[in-house]
Amino acid sequence: MNRQRDKSGLRIHIVGTGGQGLILTARLLTRFFVQSGRHVLCSQLHGMAQRGGSVQSTVMIDCGDCPVMRAGGADVILGLEPVETARALTYISSKTLVFMNTVPIIPYILSQQYVLGKKGAKYPDLEELKGAIRAVTPELYTLNATERARKAGAIKALNMVMLGCLLGTGYLPCTVEEFLDSLKVAAPPEMAEINSRAFSSGVEFGRKVVGSSR
Amino acid sequence: MSANPHEVLGARPGQAACLLGNVAIVRGALEAGVQFFSCYPGTPSSEVGDTFARIAREAGVLFEYSVNEKIAVEIAFAASLAGARSMCSMKHLGLNYAGDPVSTLPYVGVEGGMVIVSAGDPSVITSPNEQDQRHFSRFLFYPVFDPATPRDALEMTRFAFDLSEKTRLPVLMRPTTRVSHISGMVDPGPLPEARNEIKFEKNPPRYVPIPMNARRMRKELTERFALAESLLAASEFYPRTGEGSYGIIASGVAHTYVQEVIRDLGIQDRVSLLQIGAYPVPETLLAGFLKSVDSVLVVEELTPFVEDRVIRSAFENRRIIPVHGKHTGHFPLEFEYDLEKVEDAVRKELDLEERKRASVKIPDLPPRPPVLCPGCPHRTSFYLARKVFGKKTVYHNDIGCYTLGYGPPLETCDVLLCMGSSISQASGMARTTGKRTVAFIGDSTFFHSGLPALANAVKSDDPVTVIILNNHITAMTGFQPSVAAGGLSLEDAVRGLGVREIHSVNQFETERTLEALKKARDGQGLNVVILGAPCVVNETRLGIHEKGEPYTVDPDICNACSLCVRVLGCPAIHVEEEHYTIDRNLCDGCALCVEVCNQEAIRRDDAHE
Repeated sequence: MNRQRDKSGLRIHIVGTGGQGLILTARLLTRFFVQSGRHVLCSQLHGMAQRGGSVQSTVMIDCGDCPVMRAGGADVILGLEPVETARALTYISSKTLVFMNTVPIIPYILSQQYVLGKKGAKYPDLEELKGAIRAVTPELYTLNATERARKAGAIKALNMVMLGCLLGTGYLPCTVEEFLDSLKVAAPPEMAEINSRAFSSGVEFGRKVVGSSR
Repeated sequence: MSANPHEVLGARPGQAACLLGNVAIVRGALEAGVQFFSCYPGTPSSEVGDTFARIAREAGVLFEYSVNEKIAVEIAFAASLAGARSMCSMKHLGLNYAGDPVSTLPYVGVEGGMVIVSAGDPSVITSPNEQDQRHFSRFLFYPVFDPATPRDALEMTRFAFDLSEKTRLPVLMRPTTRVSHISGMVDPGPLPEARNEIKFEKNPPRYVPIPMNARRMRKELTERFALAESLLAASEFYPRTGEGSYGIIASGVAHTYVQEVIRDLGIQDRVSLLQIGAYPVPETLLAGFLKSVDSVLVVEELTPFVEDRVIRSAFENRRIIPVHGKHTGHFPLEFEYDLEKVEDAVRKELDLEERKRASVKIPDLPPRPPVLCPGCPHRTSFYLARKVFGKKTVYHNDIGCYTLGYGPPLETCDVLLCMGSSISQASGMARTTGKRTVAFIGDSTFFHSGLPALANAVKSDDPVTVIILNNHITAMTGFQPSVAAGGLSLEDAVRGLGVREIHSVNQFETERTLEALKKARDGQGLNVVILGAPCVVNETRLGIHEKGEPYTVDPDICNACSLCVRVLGCPAIHVEEEHYTIDRNLCDGCALCVEVCNQEAIRRDDAHE
């Protein structure tokens, strides 16, 4: 694992909104690394929201038993939504690698605030969000993962694109093929091919990123 | 979030597995040969029951979702008297609701081992309060387990049944959110070949705590609790690491924070770390530890429970050394800890330089507070009720998804206390002010604790309208079946209690609903309106929901009056720069917005394509 900053393992923080398949993504990573004989912890935090609420999950590989991260403690952030990625800034340090999907899910509350006349009630400017993250880490890579998922066959394969990005970097202690095999077993048959295409699209992006940073 | 059955039943001894803390508790109970399980769901405990629901038949465990926590405890208690190893689960507040049986249960005692799981919620993440159930150990003579990890949760649960049988005491298992909702590595043990024999031998003096028996039981209780302490003293739930002169005593998930901080600071040689995994904390253990260190930092969430115990032990042993923790301001009295809080306190304790933290500037971000789903029948109920009862009526609300009536735009939650309180509060307020008040309560909560409140309201006949939101499910905690879905008729129950005026309608038939609500508003004394549309998300899960065609806003007609957004709070309706749209993927087709729009600007999407 060449990503880890010290001897204390790898922390992958996945953020997005309810309904984006984030918990499943964390589970797939967890299952894969447990089967590979690693020591895995997976924390899931989701509030009362059914759909559209903030969701975050952290997968920690070979990190001991502590289920929370310190500020700046994430090695990798997979941001399925821009505002949620910026919300994870607490866990981003100058060494964190961030993948961010650029397609926003507009919080409902903005419509409410708008009609009630609250000033500044609009979705933050994407460039500002990127700037805030870049001010902390040089390694922010943004992509329209939703569009890639759509091209692969289903928008709900967005999580697979993001997983692909992570695997494409080669930072995980496994090969892309090994991980892809585990995905094929886990997914429902009708989604298998779409997932595989979406994942590969992410892998391609992840590989490019690593190429450019070295 | 419940596990797949294979994960729990199929785990193999010697083969590491990664289980959710709550699922690890189930595995521990199975390894102990649990035979009976009951629960009432509540975050963060729900996955214990939901996992049992999925495996009970295959595992040969008698299972029920009880109507409330009091019943869950009583029914599991009786199963234990018949010899079965029994378990029941609930959230921290559920343990309070079960307080009556819980209080006397240790007196009467158990036969088959009995474990009550009561999950705590420090930082008030999904509850109206935070509380420290560890006090039940001293308060009511419960051995209490305080796991730090899913691994602890499994091993402690397995041990707890033996402890319970040896002492005849019910045992409390108290995980917190960051144990219950963490998936972590566990070491599964074997599932037992044999289980307890089922038999009940009559012996009224043993099982009936009338005063003359209860006094004897009270004396025995002291002995049984002392036995628990000595059995715990010989257990493995107080591991010590290190031989340094700085003592640190930690419990629950905070123990893992201390481990992380010690590793990070590289101070293994300077500290001795003692984990407290169960209560009562054995005195011999504390006395020995205090003798071996020059100071103690106590790291525990919620109340200074261990800290007080350590201070007592230090005093009794004439071991006058500094004891730091919540009392000394090393830690706050409220909420969860985190790595930063623990690191700061440890640095202070060891006189290390304060860590300088880079401050990260986080831009202003819009929050995503929970909101009723598109097509949710509660939104329709609240909108129609507000229309009839108006702004000034006091709305008492209850515990469930419908608590989201709170705040704009629905504004149908003026007062809230606890499960089932809406009806009693409405009576109290109506009687005092002389004005009709409204109580909203869901079906599961109504059967949980609304029934006696309604009986009370019938007796006093205060001007109260009880609106029962019957969505046929316990939606908020993860779609556990409500008894109303099991064939028990709400109408019959309400009528049987003696309510004379009952209106029962489907709230999506808005004209009929408005009529019923108006009659209730203008009625005398107590009346009940039952609104019976089922939860759309649950029906979608079950594949029986027929989603209506989505609607769209005609931009030529819409005059941007904002009414729909101002009164409905539907997440499918978006507005940006005076431009109103409906997200066709989110829209459930419930048509409430069509009802609201006085410009007739909202139409079926297909008509517009």
